[in-house]
Amino acid sequence: MKHTSSIGKSNRAVMVLLILGLSTIVFPLYMTIVIAFKQPSEMTNSISGILSLPRTWSLDNFREAMRVTDFWHSLRNSLLISVSTIVLSVLLHSLMGYALGRNKAKSKFYSFVYLFIVSGMFVPFAILMMPLAKQTAELHLANWAGVIILYVVFYMPMNIMLYSGYLVNIPMALEEAARVDGASTWKTYWSIIFPIMGPMHATVAVITALAVWNDVMTPLIIMAGSGENTLPLAQLNFQSQFGTNYNLAFASYLLSLIPILIFYMICQKQILNGVTNGAVK
Amino acid sequence: MAVMIPLAGCASSENSGKTEIEIVQYKPEAANYFKTVEEQFNATHDDIHLTINSPNDATTILKTRFIREDYPDIIGIGGDINYSYFVDAEILTDVSDYAGLQDINQGYLDIAEALELVPVDGTYIVPYVANAAGVLYNRQMFAEHGWEIPETWEDLLSLCDEIQAEGILPFYFGFKDTWTCLAPWNAMAVELAPPDTTKQVNRGETTFTEQYRELADKYLQLLPYGPADPFAYGYNDACTAFARGESAMYPIGSYATPQILSVNPELDIDSFVMPACDDREDRTLNSGIDLGFCVMADCPDKEAAYEVLDFLLADENIQRYIDDQNAVPCKSGEFKLASMLDGMQEFIRTGNMTDYQDHYYPSEMSVDALLQTYLIEKDLDDFLATFDKNWQRYNRDIIRMVQEYAQNH
Amino acid sequence: MKNDRQRTFLLITIPILALFVCFNTIPLIRGVIYSFTNFRGFGKYDWVGFRNYIDLFSDARVGRSYWFTIRLALVTTVVVNVISLLLAMALNSKIRAKGFFRGAYFLPNILGSLVVGYIFNYFFTYIIPALADMTGIKALSSSILSSPGKAWIGVMIVCAWQAIAMNTIIYISGLQTVPEDVYEAGGLDGATGWKQFRYLTFPLIIPFFSINMVLCVKNFLMVFDQIMALTKGGPAQSTESISFLIYNNGMAGGQFGFQSANAVVFFIVIVVISVAQMKFSSSKEEQL
Repeated sequence: MKHTSSIGKSNRAVMVLLILGLSTIVFPLYMTIVIAFKQPSEMTNSISGILSLPRTWSLDNFREAMRVTDFWHSLRNSLLISVSTIVLSVLLHSLMGYALGRNKAKSKFYSFVYLFIVSGMFVPFAILMMPLAKQTAELHLANWAGVIILYVVFYMPMNIMLYSGYLVNIPMALEEAARVDGASTWKTYWSIIFPIMGPMHATVAVITALAVWNDVMTPLIIMAGSGENTLPLAQLNFQSQFGTNYNLAFASYLLSLIPILIFYMICQKQILNGVTNGAVK
Repeated sequence: MAVMIPLAGCASSENSGKTEIEIVQYKPEAANYFKTVEEQFNATHDDIHLTINSPNDATTILKTRFIREDYPDIIGIGGDINYSYFVDAEILTDVSDYAGLQDINQGYLDIAEALELVPVDGTYIVPYVANAAGVLYNRQMFAEHGWEIPETWEDLLSLCDEIQAEGILPFYFGFKDTWTCLAPWNAMAVELAPPDTTKQVNRGETTFTEQYRELADKYLQLLPYGPADPFAYGYNDACTAFARGESAMYPIGSYATPQILSVNPELDIDSFVMPACDDREDRTLNSGIDLGFCVMADCPDKEAAYEVLDFLLADENIQRYIDDQNAVPCKSGEFKLASMLDGMQEFIRTGNMTDYQDHYYPSEMSVDALLQTYLIEKDLDDFLATFDKNWQRYNRDIIRMVQEYAQNH
Repeated sequence: MKNDRQRTFLLITIPILALFVCFNTIPLIRGVIYSFTNFRGFGKYDWVGFRNYIDLFSDARVGRSYWFTIRLALVTTVVVNVISLLLAMALNSKIRAKGFFRGAYFLPNILGSLVVGYIFNYFFTYIIPALADMTGIKALSSSILSSPGKAWIGVMIVCAWQAIAMNTIIYISGLQTVPEDVYEAGGLDGATGWKQFRYLTFPLIIPFFSINMVLCVKNFLMVFDQIMALTKGGPAQSTESISFLIYNNGMAGGQFGFQSANAVVFFIVIVVISVAQMKFSSSKEEQL
């Protein structure tokens, strides 16, 4: 309590800096919003023109953008793929992160597997594209299920790094206590370790969601010709080499930003909850 | 390859015994037109069910589908080097027995023929529409100032001086988007370099240093008539600026007009053939196959594919396409062209047209970026030397093939 | 007991490893095979032995792309980590409207690249030069994206702007593992400000620091979207990143075989850099 005054002062300084930094975000966001409401005929190259408010605040662009992208249908596909990927990632990657994180320091095998998988992160996607397009077709996976499997594999290296990094600060003593009580490793994992990693699950979920939500390339090459679209795929309709309808595109991007923003706001509370629950001691 | 792969197309006839025909065409901007064609076709045909996909990034989609051996029946592509590669890869079928070819302008069939890396028997594309590149100009502005359409290089430069003297910017350039550097280049090249320059080089008969010197030199002379820093502005900036009357002319293809008109629907745009030569009689219009249809070798029912082509090539459908996209038809006959092509009408009517040089450039050589570098650095000799050197490097396999062919024939 | 533990670990590891091998390692091997051919991406092809690899080392364009990419990655990594760490601590401190700030600072990462490209192009092309004219700063009066010498700075700014959100999240979740009592103990010893950070906070979040370093270096070495949105490799080919070349010439162009070789070499380069990085930071971890 005695530090209150100094904390108050430094917090005020932090606030000022945060607000200043915010301008780098507010300005682009402002531009996105006004452009999303304007008509193509209101677009100019002059600064005052581009920053001015739209002539009318009509939702027509949003309606039209939803029609062009077949919004609800594409949204459903995007949600299906994103949610499945996130759930599978949290379950599988945390398990794998646990198995590797607990063993890589003392076992050559696990440390090799760890490095092997982590180095998979550095494979340039372009070299995998053609072989994957072929392989998913051979395995009858040229559809959303294939996209989900690929995502679970693509983000495995990063997530395993994150989980095993988090485990470093989780003391072995917790597990040992359970083991003394006669619980199996499998059970100990689900009853003690998995819940403790709550903040990390939220982090992994957010980062995976971010990567998946806006990704174009994977669904483009895997689902090509299937007639099904994700939101980013449908949004490609706004641009072609010779003409881009920025107004509709911006409206559409604003719409597709909402679900992921909500998801993030929920998760970031989770990231914090870890501490307040006193899980990590 | 069964149930889960969406095999919309070849060999599948789920739709109650109908023959399935699938088209993938590469112009997403014409998606609405093709949607209507698809609906009308299906409404009037009981035996064939047609699907037309107009995806963005069709090249990637086509290549990934080819590698899966999941071929559409017909592909709609441009007459450029990809077409040359597809012919060479033997994935297209010979359509010389297609009756509709009779109505296609011979000029475009010749262009298609010329695109073959080495001469191949047969015809592999049905040219549908062409585009034309020259100079777009603001017709109203020209009329107000009494400016004349230039017919020679000298005319063009003095017109630019005149426009500049009145405090107006003659040209707008969007060279930040490298591909736009090719538009004036192509339009001038048809008059200043032999149409088969690249083939002559492949046969080892000449060099680009020899053939492109005048062209490159003249291109540089246009720069002072554009904005101060043309590399800061992209295609979209240039379209907007031209639409807002910030320049009198814009050297780009007719494909840019929809984007320009979206900003300013009132603008009265016309175009003229880029006069790069000194004699007005030497002028020729830069025009190539913008969209043509190829039947895939894998297509099981060629007759059905031809029936679809017949429908696409019906006069009223072509007219609708060219109204929609300001395109030039490849089919002979009386079609009404868009008003921004007024200045090119005569060339189109008389068939005085020459294909784009860049249709022969491999995209990985990035000639557009080389041009941009040249326009920034302004080093003519270095540009030409680099062009020759890179050409040999990027076309090694093709050159070997061409020379082998020459030895055997 | 010991056996149960080892068996459980193996039962977890083997199937997941198999999945990984099936969809990452096997396609990679197939890709490596293409690098010994002149495959265009479709149709027939010939074996060309090591020709692609020999070409690679004599190709000035590829060389330039390595120089551009590595310089960009190093600078951006430093910038992003400094800002993210500060931001994470700020967002983790006791301030008002925390949820709002966290949400706001997250936004750059989710705006689609078409939007980001348009806005930053506008910013660099029109707004900065106008501001420079008003304030009389000559150096900024023309767009930095049109200058072959300066365009990489524009790319760097956009990469950093977008990446800070993700790295901040990782730092924030790292800060959660620092127990409160460490600060209490430290507070008693009079450790505040920089000292508290240097000797108390930082050592505890080193695993997250190294994760962020590795992710940054990897993400920026593989930079592609920002290049496509901002410069498409220009001006004068000054911002062609390695991934840009691999994709544009290999996938969109007809150089699939050659660019596969480029990708293989690139892969080896990143693995070497990253493994060195991880070795370095894990040795640091042990020191502290």
